[in-house]
Amino acid sequence: MTTLTVNGIETTLDVPPRTHLADALRETLGLTGTHLGCEHGVCGACTVELDGSPARACIAFAAACAGAVVRTIEGFEYDSVMAELRAAFTAHHALQCGYCTPGMLITARDIVLRIPGADEARVRRELAGNLCRCTGYQGIVDAILAVLAARRG
Amino acid sequence: MKAAAFDLVRPRTVADALAALADGARPLAGGQSLGPMLNFRLATPERLADIRTLAALRAHAETDDTITWGAAVTHAEVEDGRVPDPTGGTLRAIAGHIAYRAVRNRGTVGGSLAHADPAADWISALTALGGSVRIAGPEGEREEALTGWMSGAFATQLAEGELLLSVTIPRPRPGARLAYRKLCRKEGEFAMAIAAVLDDPARAIRRVVVGATDGAPIIAEGADAGPRAHAAIDAWPGEAWKARLLHVSLDRALGDIAA
Amino acid sequence: MADGGSGKGVGARLPRKEDDRFLRGKGRFVADIRIPGMREVAFLRGPIAHARIGAITVPEAHRAAVFTASDLTDVAPIRAYSGLKGFRRSDQPVLATGKVRHVGEAVAMIVAATRAEAEDIAGLIDIAWEPLPALVDMAEARATTTRVHEEWPDNIVLETFVDDDLSDIAATAPIVIRRSLRTARQCMSPIEGRGVVAEWDGRLDQLVMWSSAQMPHITRSGLSECLGLDHGQIRVISPDVGGGFGYKGILLPEEVALGWLARRIGAPVRWIEDRFEQLSANANCREHAYELTAYADGEGTLLALDCEAMVDAGAYSSYPFSACLEAAQIASILPGPYRFGRYRCRTFSVATNKPPILPYRGVARTGVCYAIETVMDAIAEATGIDIETVRQRNLVRSEEMPYTNVTNKVFDSGDYPEALRRAAAALDIPTLRAQQASETGPVRTGVGLSIFCEQGAHGTAVYHGWGIPMVPGHEQAQARLTPDGVLELRIGAHSHGQGMETSLAQVAHTILGINPAAVRLVHGDTALTPYSTGTWGSRSAVMSGGAVAAACETLAKRIAAIGAHLLQAEAGSVRVEDGSVVAPGGASVTLREVAHTWYRAPQLLPRDVDPAGLDVTAGYKPLSDGGTFSYAAHACAVTVDTETGFVTLGRYVIAEDGGVCLNPMIVDGQVLGGTAQGIGTALYEEMPYDGEAQPLAASLADYLLPGAGEIPRIAIEHMETPSPLTRFGQKGIGESGAIGPPAAIANAVNDALRPLGARVDALPITPRRILEALARAGR
Ligand SMILES: Cc1cc2nc3c(=O)[nH]c(=O)nc-3n(C[C@H](O)[C@H](O)[C@H](O)COP(=O)(O)OP(=O)(O)OC[C@H]3O[C@@H](n4cnc5c(N)ncnc54)[C@H](O)[C@@H]3O)c2cc1C
Ligand code: FES
Ligand code: FES
Repeated sequence: MTTLTVNGIETTLDVPPRTHLADALRETLGLTGTHLGCEHGVCGACTVELDGSPARACIAFAAACAGAVVRTIEGFEYDSVMAELRAAFTAHHALQCGYCTPGMLITARDIVLRIPGADEARVRRELAGNLCRCTGYQGIVDAILAVLAARRG
Repeated sequence: MKAAAFDLVRPRTVADALAALADGARPLAGGQSLGPMLNFRLATPERLADIRTLAALRAHAETDDTITWGAAVTHAEVEDGRVPDPTGGTLRAIAGHIAYRAVRNRGTVGGSLAHADPAADWISALTALGGSVRIAGPEGEREEALTGWMSGAFATQLAEGELLLSVTIPRPRPGARLAYRKLCRKEGEFAMAIAAVLDDPARAIRRVVVGATDGAPIIAEGADAGPRAHAAIDAWPGEAWKARLLHVSLDRALGDIAA
Repeated sequence: MADGGSGKGVGARLPRKEDDRFLRGKGRFVADIRIPGMREVAFLRGPIAHARIGAITVPEAHRAAVFTASDLTDVAPIRAYSGLKGFRRSDQPVLATGKVRHVGEAVAMIVAATRAEAEDIAGLIDIAWEPLPALVDMAEARATTTRVHEEWPDNIVLETFVDDDLSDIAATAPIVIRRSLRTARQCMSPIEGRGVVAEWDGRLDQLVMWSSAQMPHITRSGLSECLGLDHGQIRVISPDVGGGFGYKGILLPEEVALGWLARRIGAPVRWIEDRFEQLSANANCREHAYELTAYADGEGTLLALDCEAMVDAGAYSSYPFSACLEAAQIASILPGPYRFGRYRCRTFSVATNKPPILPYRGVARTGVCYAIETVMDAIAEATGIDIETVRQRNLVRSEEMPYTNVTNKVFDSGDYPEALRRAAAALDIPTLRAQQASETGPVRTGVGLSIFCEQGAHGTAVYHGWGIPMVPGHEQAQARLTPDGVLELRIGAHSHGQGMETSLAQVAHTILGINPAAVRLVHGDTALTPYSTGTWGSRSAVMSGGAVAAACETLAKRIAAIGAHLLQAEAGSVRVEDGSVVAPGGASVTLREVAHTWYRAPQLLPRDVDPAGLDVTAGYKPLSDGGTFSYAAHACAVTVDTETGFVTLGRYVIAEDGGVCLNPMIVDGQVLGGTAQGIGTALYEEMPYDGEAQPLAASLADYLLPGAGEIPRIAIEHMETPSPLTRFGQKGIGESGAIGPPAAIANAVNDALRPLGARVDALPITPRRILEALARAGR
């Protein structure tokens, strides 16, 4: 039994130790907004917020997350930064199939909050760990830059 | 692919951890290397001991001559300057180009040194700085210099049942420089070639480490360390184009020192 | 085309209706589907590229969980035969039978409570392999006596030949160019892999399958053929699909296997492809080899082209496109947008012990563009004419449109020279040339161009000729006004990133004036939508767009008739606009009121009302189904670090003409996304194989997909020449971006290397290839 906080709710999971966090979230808790694209840490589709920072849910094991605070895309429903990012993603056509989008948003939110002065080159560098096969990234980069600019005022 | 079954224990102290290791457990730190290996079933341990949050491994310390990072200090903590950087920023910058932020938030310095991927960054950078690691095992604790750490790809002086506790880095003296060149095409990729050069005139140290050699790094010390490392690359058995990249990374790092 | 000023119709950059659910993590992909009692499937895949399968030993305790070919006796193999003369037929067993022909071929299907447990069982199965020599290289496969399919006389799937005796030109042409080019085997790599959930519905006597599929109706037909069920016994649902690019445009052996399994064990089953399966078992596209000879005159005019091309078709013929589409396409489109008159081309599709080839975004166009554009730069080099002028001399001109080229393709419309001029001008080549002239150090600038036209939305005329299991005809759409005035559109194609929920709502808005927010697109479900060959070949905007327009037009007439009656106006005098029926005097009734009348207050309807009501099925085909030809010119600058072989992309400009854009924002998105994939093809993506045909890139750390840092900001210059063939003048554009980059980038890299005497003739252009080319040049 592993107890952790998921999207603000203390949750007890009964999964074998080999179950990675993404599978626990998806299969056990039904939080299917966290996607799997590689299960070896490269693509970023599974990115969640773990103890306040982005992390790969595919190579974190649920049992090793006892006591952790996890936020998935579903947990940002009322987050103001995420709301800005969502609006910008739509305005800049930053998604096509939408599969990379939840992980992309969690990384984007981290960029916006951690590196408020980021320029285009920095945004592109910080996005290296989130692959998108559809958009060519331009819309994503523009959306994040727009939110950064708006927040700088 | 999903990992093969394993047990997971979460020791609270180093002693508990050592007991778990003695019982056959394998350390799990950030899981950023072990996780993929488990998912690929390239690693099929029966038991893992989660050491990521052990207080002793999370600590860091400074003396006049050294700084010490606990093994479970993360790449992101180094990147952000949340632990001291004796090079005045070079290690922070190196950390910032390891993998991606989401990986750096979990991946640990100790895990990287223990995993000993020939193309990994800390292995080369901290070896050039003359770092050493502290190890605890059934027979007690010992210290190992990083210069002799790797015996081959993914092979180190760490014996089964041993735990890497910390890495200690001698402070370079004023006027010293660490040059670090990682050649890779994509941000966050493992290196195709690495050269790390420490030039510390006050201590009369010049140490060259050439990494991403598919095995233990090439290490050369002394005033002629540069030319000797180049010669070692010439003798290196890998493909010619890769040797060329090693030479280029070394030239560039030496150039940074000279600049 | 104007969108009527509302900002919501055809031509408007309307934000996408589908975004919201994805931005909240509420998309529903196949792996998100859970059915009570569902079991998980893993496949045991052959670890050897070519081997006979001896005894398969399953531990006693797991016998009931494991299924092999010997269990699937009532399942027919997958058959994708082409009617082209000389095509060699092969069958693809659903589970390997007798031998495996590529690494990753499924041998056993294991069902368990979880995927992990199914993989545990897979690890306990022992197979006595008898290895056979593996054919890894297509040239070698043409020469050897080893056979991928024993019953064949050799390993050639199909040979095509466009003959012409070029000896007269060969004897006199002042300039003769020869090039040998190779492109790498790639993995299409949508971020979501394939996946299947299957359930047998005993009440309906029906197999219900959710699959991450681009063409659910084709999957259904294929399942019917393999499982011996009639179409009515099969329902295929494509939920949200995380990118396709061709990867999900086939009938999967896994779909057939799970369809069979769900019925056999009486429980829902699920298989989700993981990245390791995708990379190791399904690197299945793009691998071409070209031997080119081109003849030109001293002014740079291409006189004739002679080509021998090979395509590594892999081990099987995939359903429905078959193993020969790619090579046959090479023969027909290699001439590109150019107007030379003499052409000779022999192609070979060669079977090897690699995964069966599938058409990846752009199909053969990416390779042929690389080939012909390499020739163009070679002519420029040989004549000393600049790279833009040499192309201008050879391009089909706008006044020649419609133009029938040397392979009888009819280019519908456009101004190819203008596209090239715009792209080149935006790149500012003179400044780059000045920069090059000043360079002496290790970092060298290069300039590259490419131009191509893309046949899209081609239909019956073209596909009938291939004789494959799928020939597209009319595309149908249904338009239905619901009792509360919502417009439901039903199409058989599928949107998996192309934004059709939005752009087809814009089409409906243009015709009915209905608010796009009140339009719902129903798609991806064979039970709910008209038959369609699906989304592939840059066809959906043209075909589904045309069909939706046709359905809405008929619906508009019926709405007008009812509306006029309610308004007590002459039937012919009313207009349907802004979601209402408007009488000449300005009185109006809303679509909602019309719908309410039809469904809920029929006593108010006119006596002669059309009894078919507010539910329309209409079909559509362009005026000619030889295809629309969108076109684009790509122009780029690169810097090559000649010490490391690293290439950095500089300015990248595309001049693009996709005809009228239903939604220009979405079209730009298609172009940008395709271009990123083309950059991957040019510089990063390659599945290497060892001598035993073992794939060597098992993870995304080895198979490099471009990230945000590798893709430069791309500038698009828009042109908009309407197609005379289609409903709104739109052209197929979905594949375009992926076609041009390898040619433009390879030309730019070789431009940078030229002063050093080096040249790279293979894709992707990796540091290894550059450094080895420099080494060969003595650098
Ligand atoms: C996508 C991706 C990209 C990457 N790119 C880079 C890169 O560019 N450069 C780079 O250097 N690294 C890179 N890495 C690796 C990353 O730095 C890992 O964090 C690191 O190698 C391992 O640290 P960890 O804490 O995650 O260790 P784990 O994965 O938990 O463990 C790794 C190994 O070390 C052992 N171990 C861990 N801690 C200890 C200890 N204290 N004592 C004894 N044994 C221990 C484990 O048993 C295991 O064998 C990348 C990883 C990923 C997923
Ligand atoms: S699924 Fe976790 S990084 Fe790809
Ligand atoms: S939108 Fe499809 S992968 Fe990013």
